[in-house]
Amino acid sequence: MDTSHLAEHAGAASSFFASIFVVATLSMRTMIPLRVFGILTNIILIASAIPTHNYATLLLHTVLLPLNAYRLHQMLQLVRDVKKSVNSDLSMEWLKPFMTERKCAAGEMLFYKDEKADSMFYIVSGRFKLVESGIELPVGAIVGELGMLSPSNIRTQTLECIEAGMILSVSYTQVEELYVQNPAFGFYFLRLASARLFQNIETLEQRLAQYAAPAPASAASGPA
Amino acid sequence: MPRPRQPPLRLVRLEAAIVAGVLSSLRYLLADFIGDDDDAPPFLPDGLPDGAAPVVSEGIHRLIEYQGPSYAKLYVGRLRRFVGRRGVDDAMLVEIAQLMAMRMSYEDPIRIAQLKFAELEMAPGGPHVQHADNVCKFRLDELTGALPAVIAEPILDALEWVGWVHKPISIRFSTKSRWGIRRLKIEASLRRWRLFSVRYAKERVWVEHWLHMIDRSLTKQPKAASAIVQTATMVQGYGDAYRQGLADWHAIIDGLAKPAFDGVLPLPDLAAAVAEARAAVTPDPQQAALKRTIAEIRARVQFESQQPVVPAKAGTHNL
Repeated sequence: MDTSHLAEHAGAASSFFASIFVVATLSMRTMIPLRVFGILTNIILIASAIPTHNYATLLLHTVLLPLNAYRLHQMLQLVRDVKKSVNSDLSMEWLKPFMTERKCAAGEMLFYKDEKADSMFYIVSGRFKLVESGIELPVGAIVGELGMLSPSNIRTQTLECIEAGMILSVSYTQVEELYVQNPAFGFYFLRLASARLFQNIETLEQRLAQYAAPAPASAASGPA
Repeated sequence: MPRPRQPPLRLVRLEAAIVAGVLSSLRYLLADFIGDDDDAPPFLPDGLPDGAAPVVSEGIHRLIEYQGPSYAKLYVGRLRRFVGRRGVDDAMLVEIAQLMAMRMSYEDPIRIAQLKFAELEMAPGGPHVQHADNVCKFRLDELTGALPAVIAEPILDALEWVGWVHKPISIRFSTKSRWGIRRLKIEASLRRWRLFSVRYAKERVWVEHWLHMIDRSLTKQPKAASAIVQTATMVQGYGDAYRQGLADWHAIIDGLAKPAFDGVLPLPDLAAAVAEARAAVTPDPQQAALKRTIAEIRARVQFESQQPVVPAKAGTHNL
């Protein structure tokens, strides 16, 4: 019995079905649903390419399927990590996979005070100092994460490498892209940035209290 | 004969709005590629002294012509850091404004083509008057560095591999033939991608470094601030002269100014030390005289700081 006409009909039907998914994929506004529909489209097009022996389409979508799956996994992991960070130590380590490595020589300035900020840094190794305040930043510190959200985007200190080391950097544009592509990430990123800001305010308040506390004591001891 | 039906005015307006919207979106999407800069020119910074206004205004016009309104905005933003700042008088502000405009309009091949083309257009006898050719000697890395980083970086890697990075190349900027003028126009049009170039990234860092040194001087040694401002005159031109000036500037700043601000070098009169070092600058690629002078100044101040402080005799200062 000749089944070629059946395969032809099945191929045409699945191509039509796949076209619906292509339209649905392209109409998605954000990245996660776009990837999900992209994966479904890949699967349907692979399935439709087998009976029609369309090997070019088969090969293309066999390559695109793992790529889409990997990108979806990256996005979901990013949201999960940011969410976890908001509920735990407020660290920004989740950003590391999106950062690029850069070696720094001693004496190199990473950025200058009053300069327009355009990227944030993660210190991997070496020694780095904020020139104006003289504060040395520890390994693992993130610098410049709040500059992205500040209206003026101006650096408030100069960062100098005092002992050769390695940093990771990510531009604000890249973080903005993640933010725009992924609303869940954007929401948790905002919560995280706000939490870090409140943490800074709390630290400042504690320091202010420490400075204010000895004053009455010394005033009291003065006359004695 | 019946008149052809005109579409309703409302429909025409709607179509025009849609087309304008689409074009605007496309311009935004391709802004980086076409180098579009439709920003409004910046205003003078608030609180600018009257005496400084003409100089700053000239700087703004120069940078709009050099690159565009956004670039002029960057100039105003940088200048704003010093307006009304303690220790910065009107004369110093004028000097910073002048030198910053000069350094921000650095001389790359694009700038020289722009100037040559402007010379042709502004000639008193009209554009048909013959002008002498400019022949400029650049280094290969300097020429390549004027291109966008994505293009320049692989070329620079290849040049380094071949060992031609510092190879001198003479470029003729001519308005004598139609082809020469066409070439000038093409070279000048590269300005739209100038801010993506390897050279711009380096110049941006240099200007910020210079401003940072002025800022630190105002905090640590205000008397030396004027001398630090004037060091910008050391870096001028293109080719070997530019490289030499840049190397000399770094030698003085890294050898004297920075250690003095960091508190590592006890240099009470930084301005005099900078002047002494600048006097030792010669067109020597090895910088022998300059390095020797800097080493002498450092040794001298280190020695003086180790001497026990002899208390001044009472009343001596009144003599």
